[in-house]
Amino acid sequence: MIKAIQNNTESSSQATEMSPRKFTSWQVLLGLTFLILLLIWPQFTTNKFYFTMGTMIALSVIGASSLNLIIRTGHISLAHAAFMGVAAYTCVLSQIYFHINFALACALGCSMSAFLALILGPILLRLTGKYFVLVTFMVGEIIRLVFINWQSLTGGSNGIQEIPRGLDLFKNPTSFYYFSLLISFLCIVFVRRILSSDLGRAIDSLREVESLAECSGIPVSKIKISMFVIACFLVGFQGILQVYLVGYIDPGSFNSEASLNMVVMNVIGGMYHLSGPILGSIFITTLPEFLRGYVDFQRVIFGVVLIVVMAALPGGLMGILFKLKVFLLKALHLEVKNK
Amino acid sequence: MSALLQVNGLSRQFGGLLAVKDLSFDVSAGEILGLIGPNGAGKTTIVNTVSGLIKSTTGEINFDGHNITHLLPHRRAALGLVRTFQSTAVYGVQTVKENAMRGAFLHSYGGFFSDFFSTQKHKILKIQTEQRIDALLDWLGLSQFSNVPAQSLAYGHQKTLGIVIALAAQPKMILLDEPVAGLSAEETDHVRNTIQRVRSQGISVVVIDHNMRFISGLCDRLIVVAQGQKIAQGSPNEVLNDTLVIEAYLGKAYDAS
Amino acid sequence: MFTTDILSQVVINGLSLSAIYILVALGFTLLFGIMKVVNFSHGAFAMLGGYALFISYGSYKLPYIIALFGSAFTVALISLIFEFLVFKWFYQKMFQSMIGLMGLNMAIVYASVMIWDISERSIPSPDQSILTFGELSIPMDRLWIMSVTLVVLGLFWYFVTYSRQGLAMRAASQDLEIAAAQGINPNRIYKLAFFIAIFMTALAGGLYAQTYALSPFMGERPLMVAFIVVILGGMGSIPGAALGGLILGLGESFLSTFYGGAVSSFVSFGSVVILLILRPWGLLGKPE
Repeated sequence: MIKAIQNNTESSSQATEMSPRKFTSWQVLLGLTFLILLLIWPQFTTNKFYFTMGTMIALSVIGASSLNLIIRTGHISLAHAAFMGVAAYTCVLSQIYFHINFALACALGCSMSAFLALILGPILLRLTGKYFVLVTFMVGEIIRLVFINWQSLTGGSNGIQEIPRGLDLFKNPTSFYYFSLLISFLCIVFVRRILSSDLGRAIDSLREVESLAECSGIPVSKIKISMFVIACFLVGFQGILQVYLVGYIDPGSFNSEASLNMVVMNVIGGMYHLSGPILGSIFITTLPEFLRGYVDFQRVIFGVVLIVVMAALPGGLMGILFKLKVFLLKALHLEVKNK
Repeated sequence: MSALLQVNGLSRQFGGLLAVKDLSFDVSAGEILGLIGPNGAGKTTIVNTVSGLIKSTTGEINFDGHNITHLLPHRRAALGLVRTFQSTAVYGVQTVKENAMRGAFLHSYGGFFSDFFSTQKHKILKIQTEQRIDALLDWLGLSQFSNVPAQSLAYGHQKTLGIVIALAAQPKMILLDEPVAGLSAEETDHVRNTIQRVRSQGISVVVIDHNMRFISGLCDRLIVVAQGQKIAQGSPNEVLNDTLVIEAYLGKAYDAS
Repeated sequence: MFTTDILSQVVINGLSLSAIYILVALGFTLLFGIMKVVNFSHGAFAMLGGYALFISYGSYKLPYIIALFGSAFTVALISLIFEFLVFKWFYQKMFQSMIGLMGLNMAIVYASVMIWDISERSIPSPDQSILTFGELSIPMDRLWIMSVTLVVLGLFWYFVTYSRQGLAMRAASQDLEIAAAQGINPNRIYKLAFFIAIFMTALAGGLYAQTYALSPFMGERPLMVAFIVVILGGMGSIPGAALGGLILGLGESFLSTFYGGAVSSFVSFGSVVILLILRPWGLLGKPE
């Protein structure tokens, strides 16, 4: 895996050069504009489909950015959707069986996911590179099999058709959207804070040259496990809110393809800067809509895009944007010179 | 005065190969010790076991009064035992200053909450660390390269940066793994000078190398290992004239009769 | 429950399953051992082999042996296009290969959905008769699977051990740089290894489709199997693939007959996870 990490160090280096710990004024302006747009557009439409779409995008950002925490430590997890499912099932089932309110059930759900991560983390994170990908792939499958086979509890492959009421604001698509946006925003702020703090610097160190980091006093295992647990806690929110959005649990939505999607959002957007997974999740979630009606064809295109990105663009979309920025700066510089 | 580092009966087995066999040695505070031996003598294994990257099969390691035999590397670093690396000695893609700052983790990280919320205490700690790192870089002549990516430095400077990263952790003792391998004579002199300056600050140094001339000009004491075992120890003069040592490097004298 | 009759059935089923699994796993481990790619699209090629057999044997009714080997050969030949367009960008780049080939898998599977539909088809069996030796009754089609596989494995073993190309392949899997320095052309070896790997996979896919059912999503199981077998036996190890295939095939047959499919899945996945944690290089692999 050291080789693989070093192959990616180029993109990670771009990223760390690209991620100043403070925001530039351009970034603040861009961010604010974007934020305002996100908040205003629901006032101009009543189309329920758009609200569902918007909510799904906001929720998928939670999954992608939380996964980014794990990826930044140098591990690619293909089990993230499975942990999402654990939280969702726990929340719904505890509402059904214990008749508790949504907030408590939600906390329980995310905690269950985090707890599972705490137990599995120390064992799984000892593996590196391809072995970690494979073992998380397998663990994700095992968890999915549990969802399907523990029929008395989970309803088997049919899932759970009747979800108890969540919060009252869930009934209104607009308020659900704003709520999801809020949770998503909080999640991003939290993840971003960790990654840009000194802890984030330690994370970058242990990913780039683990032995050097460890011998400098960085507690590598402890950090990897903590990030894994935090990430699995956060993705619980996506799982729970998604399920309450559609009104039922379908175990098929927590399979390896869903986990792969989250990894792809990170990879395609750019793994070593938080804007990567955000961009990636917007891209991946909206892509199907551009080829509506050609479901199979869009998946073929999706597959081809993956191939191209992995083969030619290790830095993902952010990598392209970065190269573009460098190119533009050079061009402008030339222009100024000629004057 | 008891030794700062005590290694007793250290051995390490890899499958059928006994890479290190019953090795014992001490390092006193303020000393420069050389660990020397031909290639394949087990020097790398020794460094890796003492620094904690590999578990020893048998033996005990004590540092500064603590039994560190079963401690993870980062805990050993916290106690003051830090090492450098022969290859991948630096974070190539990062700037020199960033490299040095990373080495200071132990003393610049005030805990999750003060870091996450960027408390006043954290901010003060950060300023202090930056000042200390700037001074360190200046002291070892790397200030001019502060914003240069480490991998574009000359190899000799990279090795010095590796030492800077170790010093950033404010160690009591540093283990230098082949600090002059691949360096020119001039760069080697520079590293020797750097090590002497480090010792003058009260930090003990263990230099692991196979270059006889470099080590004998630098170290107070030498330990010679061959095939995983200690075959000689003493002052450079004593050791260099030891028959066993000569044999280990050059082989037994050819008997023409 | 554990009567001779049922046990013999379990063993025979297990052996025929093992045969298919070994073929699938061998292809996978070849691609990993020599080119260092983790072929997440492996199942898709098995599926293509299944469709090829469906067309050649099911539709055109060619003689069985010709259909079987011919379709595998054709799929391998056509797949060289994928080698040129996709695989060659990922040689020696393990991490990129994983995600990139997942993309290829998606592309092939859904292209197949577009070409054929998602409905399941079946391929007629070459021989429905049953051979009886006293108490033992062996279905002929199982015998076909086992004998075909044995022949292919035998040829493969002979090739790898005694031919010049086989020697080159073994050298390349150990250390590509040195092999190249010795005059071995990596590109030729890659193409050859790729061809052989896909041939075996497509063949296994045809046999698998005959035993079970054919659909564009048929490859999911063979992919899982490839992972499990190769992890069990050791990634990059050829005898490991054989051993792993045997263990998995017999194990699955035994467990699913007596304890059901769910238990069988849990045990096989669970053992792989445990193995990955304790001994990631597999039973016959080498620690890195």
